[in-house]
Amino acid sequence: MIEANGLTKVYGAKTAVAGVSFTVRAGQVTGFLGPNGAGKSTTMRMIMGLDRPTSGSVTVNGLPYVRHKAPLREVGALLDAKAVHTSRSAYNHLLAMAATHSIPKARVHEVIEMTGLDAVARKKAGGFSLGMGQRLGIAAALLGDPQTLILDEPVNGLDPEGVVWVRNLVRYLAGQGRTVFLSSHLMSEMAQTADHLIVIGRGRVIADAPIRDIITGKGQSRVRVRTDQPDRLSQLLAALGASVDARERELLEVTGLEPKTIAGAALENQVMVYELTPLVASLEEAYMELTKDDVEYHSLPAAEVGK
Amino acid sequence: MVGFGALSAWGTGQFANAATRDPQAAARMASQGGDLAISVPTSGIAFAQLILGSLGVLLMSSEFTTGMARSTFAAVPRRLPAFAAKLVVVMVTSFVVTALSTWVAGLVAAPILDNYGLKLDLGSSQSVKLLVVNSIYVAAVAAIGMALGTLIRNSAGGIMSLVGIFFVAPIAFQLIPGDFFKEARKYLPGNTVEPLTAAQHVPDTLEAWQAGLVLGAWVAIPVLLAAVLLKRRDV
Repeated sequence: MIEANGLTKVYGAKTAVAGVSFTVRAGQVTGFLGPNGAGKSTTMRMIMGLDRPTSGSVTVNGLPYVRHKAPLREVGALLDAKAVHTSRSAYNHLLAMAATHSIPKARVHEVIEMTGLDAVARKKAGGFSLGMGQRLGIAAALLGDPQTLILDEPVNGLDPEGVVWVRNLVRYLAGQGRTVFLSSHLMSEMAQTADHLIVIGRGRVIADAPIRDIITGKGQSRVRVRTDQPDRLSQLLAALGASVDARERELLEVTGLEPKTIAGAALENQVMVYELTPLVASLEEAYMELTKDDVEYHSLPAAEVGK
Repeated sequence: MVGFGALSAWGTGQFANAATRDPQAAARMASQGGDLAISVPTSGIAFAQLILGSLGVLLMSSEFTTGMARSTFAAVPRRLPAFAAKLVVVMVTSFVVTALSTWVAGLVAAPILDNYGLKLDLGSSQSVKLLVVNSIYVAAVAAIGMALGTLIRNSAGGIMSLVGIFFVAPIAFQLIPGDFFKEARKYLPGNTVEPLTAAQHVPDTLEAWQAGLVLGAWVAIPVLLAAVLLKRRDV
């Protein structure tokens, strides 16, 4: 369990994290979603005691990280794919980390096998590909068999097989009752992995809810309706409190009414309807909607770039 | 260092040879306490301090340049135990390496010096004193290096600062006219070894106890500063 309370980090004139409060619970995967520069990594570094919060506090399993006697047994973290001395082998890196917590050598072999690093374990970590570095980081995070896992962009640079592996791994770990806190700027990844979502933009929490609520809540259910009398149906539905958007000739998008209600209204008034499709907003749309005002770096529309 | 010892033994032998024929050289020899051979084993100290001092810098700076620091300080979030452990390792290693290579240099140099009729007694108290003080000195340089590496967090910057203190400052202070720099030069860490090892006090240098304090301060102040900042700064 991770509890952040009014966590703030200011770098000079720039506020990276502005009074963030949230709780990450055990037994589920909590996604930490936000565009680049939203403050995800800074927040995670503050949880790990690497950066000192300007104000506010954060505890892991009830204690600030710094106060834990054996922190690696409490919290495993992948913060930066290459938090490794470049001229040290993967095996020696893990062995050194293990030595600080009296973790037996057998566990080092175990995590190497678990993360599929056997073949490269004796090679210098500096020569690792992004994906290999990522696996080594995950191996280091798992080393102390911690109750809480913090993974910053774990699927970055992994091949498709690796992405599926991470997804299954975090689901499995959460299934064992562990706390898993996972950051990403890829909403599609979150949709498949997380149970709960904390969305952050410009250092503020924008949403903190189960993932289902985020998909359905903001994106609101819409229904696509095709009819040969769009004008008449629009008036009827508007009278029922829906907002109707005429997209094409004979095509309407209705927000705020269930398909059944629409069909009922059409039947009563003898308007023919030849398509009635409920539209569920993708997480991606919901995310864009949530963060559109809080993105740090806006891209210009393609048409304006050439000007 | 062993190599420098041998080279220096040969050079000293040549010099001693010349002294027997040249009264001017003989006068110079007398000014060095009469015993030329004694300082031969430690003649490579300048290089030992550069190498082991750089090792000290790298020990911390590479943590930050490679990103290893994030792993290190996640494993040891109180930070200072890791810093203290590294400090002990680098100081003990530097002391042992310097002492061993000084001793081996002495072994190599003795027969060469013997060839020129100079006696090198490695068991004499002055020889032991030279060996111990120089080894402590190199351990101190390594500690200063590590403090610089912690403060600057950059390998090139740390090593350049080290070179600045130990190689550039003594020359610069000599070139700048005025009594202030002449006086200040005595307090540079590199100039504390001579008073500490001299058989009798050499004019224009610190007293031995002063030199000990100055060298101690050169270690303590950067190390404490580094420890405090390491604890407080973000990784």
